[in-house]
Amino acid sequence: MLRWKYSRPLLGVVMALLALAPILGDNPLSRPGLQQTMAVAFIWGGLALTYDLLFGFTGLLSFGHALYFATGVYVTCILINHEVVSWWLASLIAIAVSALLALLVGAASLRTTGITFAMVTLAFGEAGHVILERNFFNLTGGENGIALNANLIPQFWISVVNTKYIYWTALAAMALTYAVIWWVTESSAGRVFAALRDNELRVQVLGLNTQRFKLLAFVISAALAALLGDVMLLAAGSAAPRFADAGVTISLLLMVVLGGAVTRWGAVIGGIIYSVATTRMQDLTQQEFFKTIPKLIGGPIAEPAFVLGLLFIFVVMFAPGGLSGAYYKLRLRAITKKSQ
Amino acid sequence: METFILIGITGIGLGALYFLVASGLSLIYGLMGVLNFAHGSFLTVGAFVGFWVASKMGFETTIPEFLLAMIIGGLAAGLFALLIEQLLITRLYERHIDQALVTVGVSLVVGAVLGGWFGNDLRMFPTPMWFLTAIDIGGAQIPADRVIYISTAILLLIGNWALLKFTRIGLIIRAGVENRHMVDALGINVRKAFSTVFFLGGFAAGVGGVLVSVYSNGVSPLIAGSYLIYGFIVVVIGGMGSVPGSFLAAMLIGIIKQFANYYATGLGDFVVVILLAVVLLIRPQGLLGKVRA
Repeated sequence: MLRWKYSRPLLGVVMALLALAPILGDNPLSRPGLQQTMAVAFIWGGLALTYDLLFGFTGLLSFGHALYFATGVYVTCILINHEVVSWWLASLIAIAVSALLALLVGAASLRTTGITFAMVTLAFGEAGHVILERNFFNLTGGENGIALNANLIPQFWISVVNTKYIYWTALAAMALTYAVIWWVTESSAGRVFAALRDNELRVQVLGLNTQRFKLLAFVISAALAALLGDVMLLAAGSAAPRFADAGVTISLLLMVVLGGAVTRWGAVIGGIIYSVATTRMQDLTQQEFFKTIPKLIGGPIAEPAFVLGLLFIFVVMFAPGGLSGAYYKLRLRAITKKSQ
Repeated sequence: METFILIGITGIGLGALYFLVASGLSLIYGLMGVLNFAHGSFLTVGAFVGFWVASKMGFETTIPEFLLAMIIGGLAAGLFALLIEQLLITRLYERHIDQALVTVGVSLVVGAVLGGWFGNDLRMFPTPMWFLTAIDIGGAQIPADRVIYISTAILLLIGNWALLKFTRIGLIIRAGVENRHMVDALGINVRKAFSTVFFLGGFAAGVGGVLVSVYSNGVSPLIAGSYLIYGFIVVVIGGMGSVPGSFLAAMLIGIIKQFANYYATGLGDFVVVILLAVVLLIRPQGLLGKVRA
């Protein structure tokens, strides 16, 4: 990986600016509307990074990642609404439950590899989605989901004036996810993850238990996804089956591929841009001038999936590495030119 | 006893639909290693073309008219599959993950285009009146449309088997599933086999799409969703690349799902996933799958 000596200070400055923006006088980020949009975008950015740990760093193409995110949302919401424990403890329990679930599902599905693994994780993920929709024991609220009882969480997260606290919580959750994944991928276990992606047989020959390392990556990313789920519960105010939909995992895949895998910041930027873009595109297509475009073209364009899907196909076919990959390619070219 | 027969045959009918989706998926995966997420869009394309043909004939179709619409839907889906294969898949030769990703992109775009043009509401599919009648089998009243699902699936299974067994291209496909590089090395054009498999898989999915839209009372860009996922489960349980395995697994899943739904209200999907986990633990290569070298 190309290193740039200003990248860490720059990261610090950007984070500080994002953190201080809501209280730095009048700017777009001091308004609750954009704060809410950005809070959700940060959650998606973090979630894309947890997916990057699986897909990019370890080479595990999972289609069931949404399950662990939704576990975070639902377990927290159920524990709070039934007044079992406070928000803090509920979040921790949700993370533990999600990690345990990932341990069980991972142990079964990691018996397969590659494309079969993708299918199997998809099946488990969809099973979770269906179970949430069924409303067993009246816990999950079926297709409508459950609204979070606002009286039972700390009051500074309630009401529109306090949106900035949700914004900060989401930013902190994203930063924490980034820090953990940075630490994991730079650790010796992270080296093994990368080796598993590049050549699993060689790792086996070295005498390492490949299953155990894959399971470790699977569980870490699930636990972090649950953490982001906890925050999503605050931002969305309810737990709904759409968080467990296979479409969520597919969006994560899109974010990581568009932003660029294995660079960490690529996935985060991909997630943030994707989230903001889909929200803004819906606003755009509501406008008057848009209705003058004939339906033959305008109909598909109004669906965010159309543009994103085409972009996705283009990136996979012609620009693998996505946004961050393109950036590094340009830097590499600049460096080699200078040294000549 | 009547309930037992009814649930059993309904299960087989559902299994037939799963088989139509899974047969193509299984062959495409077995031969080319492509996890085809676009298979759901083949199903939807087939359903919409079939719907368009059928609705040209009025609010109600006769059985030959319906079969014609079904076959045209299947052909359209087959051609669409061929187009996707030629345009995108062949350019990513041997890059399996990227191929899977591209098919995800295709399914998104097709879903968005159809959703943008027709909206996501169900549109009634013009079916023959006969489908609404019931047939008496051992005292159980079986909805007549199930007969069509089951016979179509069986016809496709036989056709598939005959093609694989008695034709030259079938021989190449079978050899390719076994060891594609060897077939390549012998100077045989495997690419042609790829295209054939994509066309046939698309055809089966398109026919399945028309039948699925009869089963779910209408056409919409969203009908493919759960069938694609069940298709994957069927392929994994039946064994990659094995069409008889897919048939067996599809029937098994259809029947188990219906019985579980009846005797343990709504637990059908759950039981199927448990079955999947058990098969993976005991026999990771699937019921009739071979261990891959």
